[in-house]
Amino acid sequence: MMMKSERMDAYKADPDIAKLMLAAEEHIRKSGLEPALLDLVRMRASQINRCAFCLDMHSKDARRLGETEQRLYVLNAWRESTLYTERERAALAWTEALTLIADTQAPEDVYEEVKKHFSDAELANLTFQITQINAWNRFNVGFRYQHP
Amino acid sequence: MSTNRIDAYKTVPEAMQALMAVEEHLKKSGLERSLVELVKMRASQINGCAFCLDLHSRDARNNGETEKRLYLLSAWRESSLYSEREQAALAWTESLTLISQNHAPDTVYERVREHFNDQELVNLTLLITQINAWNRFAIGFRYEHP
Repeated sequence: MMMKSERMDAYKADPDIAKLMLAAEEHIRKSGLEPALLDLVRMRASQINRCAFCLDMHSKDARRLGETEQRLYVLNAWRESTLYTERERAALAWTEALTLIADTQAPEDVYEEVKKHFSDAELANLTFQITQINAWNRFNVGFRYQHP
Repeated sequence: MSTNRIDAYKTVPEAMQALMAVEEHLKKSGLERSLVELVKMRASQINGCAFCLDLHSRDARNNGETEKRLYLLSAWRESSLYSEREQAALAWTESLTLISQNHAPDTVYERVREHFNDQELVNLTLLITQINAWNRFAIGFRYEHP
């Protein structure tokens, strides 16, 4: 992974960290959750946390997997759009609730809605994906990684 | 551990193993145990995780932390109870926990750099992302403290 940062190359300073984080990604990749959904989740969390490096990486990944430009451009305002399935909307609301946990405390209505669309294992893995992208966002913003 | 929602440990044990592997790595990172518990407490205060505050206050007390430093932690900026190194770490903890609001500013980064070497700083950062992950699991799935 060739990555430039303005502060410190954190992944080089302790190479075990990237290994541990990538092992977690590997688990999520094998979880059976749809790749298109995972990219939307990663994009939305990165929008909220304002991680340019992450938005660049995951928009490229999403496009490579066949995601439309329109669904990426409108993602910030998904609530106002009909482009996303009920399952995606439930996941996006859960993503926002957990990303902004200090403000939201993961409210009942958001939880009940996401429970309708995901099995227990799917929901636990979706939650793991949300905590993971939140971790990457903090590393990449915290150390000022630069997108290409 | 009991929960009203989903028990992630039972539902996705491999995911929890991945998180526990990070904990193992952090244990060996060389960061002071007292500092580690303060960081976990402060992030859990900001995120509002009762389960985590209960767990880590017990761990901190068992490790010899004083009651007073735990009671005053929310207001650490106004107190002389915390070392310069701890204060720098707490400021970094707050800025990364609330990343969507403050974007990890240069002042906070420069201050923490003065007190931590490269490897310590990336492990401190991992500690912060890790407690933020646990907070989200514990609040998201309503883990109940004993």
